[in-house]
Amino acid sequence: MIEQIREKAKELLASGEVKVVIGYENGGLPETTRPVFITSPDEVDRLVWNKYCYANLATFLWRKEVSSLGKPAIVAKGCDVKAIVVLIQESQIKREDVVILGVTCTGVGDPPLSKCPICDVNTPREYDCLFGEEIPPKTDINKFADVDEFEKKSPEERWEFWEEQLSKCVKCYACRQVCPMCYCEICIADKNQPQWIETSSHTRGNYHWNLVRAWHLAGRCVDCLECERVCPVDIPLSLVNRRLAKSVKARFGYEPGYDTEAPPPFTDFKPQDPEEFIK
Amino acid sequence: MSRIGVFVCHCGENIARMVDVTRVAEETAKLPGVAVSVDYRYMCSDPGQNMIKEAIREHKLDGVVVAACSPQMHEPTFRAAVVEGGLNPYLCEMANIREHCSWVHTDKELATQKAIDLVRIMVEKVGKNQELFPIKVPVTKRALVIGGGIAGIQAALDIASGGHEVVLVEREPSIGGNMARLSETFPTLDCSQCILTPRMVEVDRDPRITLYTYAEVEEVGGFVGNFKVKIRQKAKSVIADLCNGCGDCWNKCPQKKIPSEFDAGLGYRTAIYVPFPQAVPNTPVIDRERCTKFLKDKCGICEKVCTLNAIDYTMEDEIIEVEVGAIVVATGYDLFSVGKDQPNEQWTGYGEYNYDAYPDVIDGIQFERLLSASGPTQGEIRRPSDGKEPKSVVFIACVGSRDPEKGLEYCSKICCMYIAKHAMLYKHKVHDGQPYVFYMDIRAGGKNYEEFVRRAIEEDGVLYIRGRVSKIYKDGEQLVVVGADTLSDSQVQVRADLVVLATAIVPHRDAYELAQKIGFGCGSQGFFSEAHPKLRPVETNTAGIYLAGACQAPKDIPDAVAQAGAAASKVQLLFSSDELEREPIIASVNEATCVHCRNCIRVCPYSAITDKEIKDKKGNLIKMVAEVNEGLCLGCGACVAACPSKSIQLAGFNDEQVFAEITALGSG
Ligand SMILES: Cc1cc2nc3c(=O)[nH]c(=O)nc-3n(C[C@H](O)[C@H](O)[C@H](O)COP(=O)(O)OP(=O)(O)OC[C@H]3O[C@@H](n4cnc5c(N)ncnc54)[C@H](O)[C@@H]3O)c2cc1C
Ligand code: SF4
Ligand code: SF4
Ligand code: SF4
Ligand code: SF4
Ligand code: SF4
Repeated sequence: MIEQIREKAKELLASGEVKVVIGYENGGLPETTRPVFITSPDEVDRLVWNKYCYANLATFLWRKEVSSLGKPAIVAKGCDVKAIVVLIQESQIKREDVVILGVTCTGVGDPPLSKCPICDVNTPREYDCLFGEEIPPKTDINKFADVDEFEKKSPEERWEFWEEQLSKCVKCYACRQVCPMCYCEICIADKNQPQWIETSSHTRGNYHWNLVRAWHLAGRCVDCLECERVCPVDIPLSLVNRRLAKSVKARFGYEPGYDTEAPPPFTDFKPQDPEEFIK
Repeated sequence: MSRIGVFVCHCGENIARMVDVTRVAEETAKLPGVAVSVDYRYMCSDPGQNMIKEAIREHKLDGVVVAACSPQMHEPTFRAAVVEGGLNPYLCEMANIREHCSWVHTDKELATQKAIDLVRIMVEKVGKNQELFPIKVPVTKRALVIGGGIAGIQAALDIASGGHEVVLVEREPSIGGNMARLSETFPTLDCSQCILTPRMVEVDRDPRITLYTYAEVEEVGGFVGNFKVKIRQKAKSVIADLCNGCGDCWNKCPQKKIPSEFDAGLGYRTAIYVPFPQAVPNTPVIDRERCTKFLKDKCGICEKVCTLNAIDYTMEDEIIEVEVGAIVVATGYDLFSVGKDQPNEQWTGYGEYNYDAYPDVIDGIQFERLLSASGPTQGEIRRPSDGKEPKSVVFIACVGSRDPEKGLEYCSKICCMYIAKHAMLYKHKVHDGQPYVFYMDIRAGGKNYEEFVRRAIEEDGVLYIRGRVSKIYKDGEQLVVVGADTLSDSQVQVRADLVVLATAIVPHRDAYELAQKIGFGCGSQGFFSEAHPKLRPVETNTAGIYLAGACQAPKDIPDAVAQAGAAASKVQLLFSSDELEREPIIASVNEATCVHCRNCIRVCPYSAITDKEIKDKKGNLIKMVAEVNEGLCLGCGACVAACPSKSIQLAGFNDEQVFAEITALGSG
């Protein structure tokens, strides 16, 4: 499969159709990979594809350093493609301005990450070229089983759990830096006139930050799990992300990342919308 | 350090009863930045306002907080006072310690604490306020009137007489509305069409009025002074400029058995038709759902007989765009449907009156058509079933009105009067006939109205029975009306040849959709909402949109005409200046931090935000951002909440101001 990816990358670069191919290369340590930005057809052999290709490369699509190189092609797993779809919905990139090199995927990590058993996009939903055997989407999965389980706890238990978890946060903002959806040039967390979010990393400031992060991703997070993966203190960020995703699905029948034309639910309204919350 | 003045109002006893206003003034005087804090019995009075003006000069204030009622009431008063004192009006804020405090609390100590908090919040905010200046926008001096009943006609004529252009849009093929269907009108019994048609002709003749009939308003954008309207002109299939209204086409049309809407189903019309002989304009339209040419591609007779070649089967709907500065809505009423099929699940209707089953049970408008000289019986009273003259007629009041069990709780206001009229006119035509009226009580509160009802009872011998009707059943050729007589406490049965139901007046069937489309309020019953029931009865809550006639509440003709005149004069007032001043409370985008997610563009209910390209000197695109159109933004703040990067600020409510308010609350 990697041979075909390299070949396609070479062809795209040589013809000038794209100026950069965003993909993975081997990392410094065994069983790791890192993002690579190939700009010359001679370098395509650096590209690799294996189960350690964790990173969601969609996050590079809108970064100035990359977008200034010219039109990109991007190696993308199903979950990464969902992020690209949201970026298209939110007008961060135009569909015609990116070549998606979709790869079918049975899971990353060893053992696979928690997102992989509940994944329904083993074959990406949107791509220009597809690499690997098509895998039919799983149907009998419950994406929210752990959320449902967690909700059975009492409010006090949940509060205690989150207090303990969030007290660990060191406000490194790695979760934000890695997230493809966190494309604001100046994040609200960095604004200081006024300072909406406390900068110190005691628990109250951590609540501010983590609530805002989760809320800003409601209806947008595609559960690529990158934030949770990079968090140096292992906060289960996906649990809160998916708690919101569950509500969005129940309320609006909407899941982000599947339809480039769908209006994002929190910025879509009709005058006839029920306003049952206003009594 | 700011120099803020705090002015605490007693509002007579309204605030002082529940809030210790003196303590509020004393406590808030100690706040940092407060230069002076006083209380007074009526801050809105002249002496109260003078206190503010003098304090501004004496203490060199740079901000004012008036702790009083809702800004809805007196913000303009105090802003004006502050201007006279020499400050920018937007350096004045109100803390609402009446509606938000004294009126809703019962514990004086706690209410006083809360009042102090509310003032402290506004003191913090006003310290961050900036001077703002009104935005000037031009006024398009052309009005749109929607609905061509008597109210719409009156409004259009009055506005045109004031020298302004008017666009009048009527859904039906002719203007005239319900008044055109009436026979004679209470309380003077003058012929409805005789007084209405001259006004219709005036509309047609007035060069300042552009009339679109068989048309509907499709879309309204913009704002007061600058509305952009799309009108759908439905295809009439007749070229108005060629047609002279000779009538050859409708006389020859073979489709002759279509129930006439105008005659409320008692008469017939053809597929190409004008609704009534005096129609304005006198151009017919083809009802494409009934015309053989459109249904089966046969016939085509009208085209053949028209010597002026005015028939055009290929005509298509047309969208007409107009710009107007003001809108008068005059879409009138419908009648409550009596039968079992109700448009609304809360209404059960009156199945026991057998309106659907017995042709001789009719509603008031149908009786008007029987009375009318231009009606299906040329004004002779003949009952629908067999064409015989009814010798006994029962009129039933309040069918649907004042009956929340089955219909609506409100009083339809005009029925008592038209029942008296109906009974009287019936007696004038059928001298040996006997009219009966079942009623709950008689509401005749208008000039000469009580006298009119008395005349019906005393001179024309109408028999009034006070009570409700429980059922109507058929016995031979007659109907038996079973009801109560609550004055003699007995059950009565009246044998009738014809029964007329005074059904409730309800809003036009698609009134709600229209209100949504244009953007103004509707009450729970669907009648359009005025801005204030007493003080602003013809305005809606949306600036530049006014109401006239029965679309706002059941009304008789004099009331509808009076309101139309009032709406027209409001429009003239608006058109009396070339520019409008708009509040500078509008949004603006920080282009440096905007990431063009387009959230704001999607949420703005007024389509005030658009995409903007930022280019370098050579014309290369640097980035896309959002941009607010000052003329369109109404300052609702939806975009501010939707912006993830906090790149939009609302003047007068910017982040620093709101943040100051929140932290002030937390620091109490
Ligand atoms: C049986 C009966 C007898 C009456 N007798 C009397 C009487 O004797 N004396 C008296 O003073 N009053 C009488 N009235 C009351 C009288 O009919 C009303 O007061 C009057 O017709 C109200 O006029 P209007 O212009 O407000 O509404 P309407 O006459 O209802 O006119 C509204 C117009 O708007 C049009 N329209 C509606 N929606 C739209 C839309 N979306 N776009 C474009 N056009 C639209 C309609 O087609 C209609 O032409 C009687 C009423 C009834 C039911
Ligand atoms: S979530 Fe699906 S596409 Fe993404 S890594 Fe796991 S299995 Fe692959
Ligand atoms: S919030 Fe985390 S899981 Fe969701 S899209 Fe961003 S990085 Fe991926
Ligand atoms: S990555 Fe983890 S520690 Fe760092 S800011 Fe995010 S939640 Fe906090
Ligand atoms: S919501 Fe904010 S960031 Fe997004 S386009 Fe509008 S101003 Fe820009
Ligand atoms: S405040 Fe924002 S959303 Fe509201 S009208 Fe103005 S631009 Fe539109």
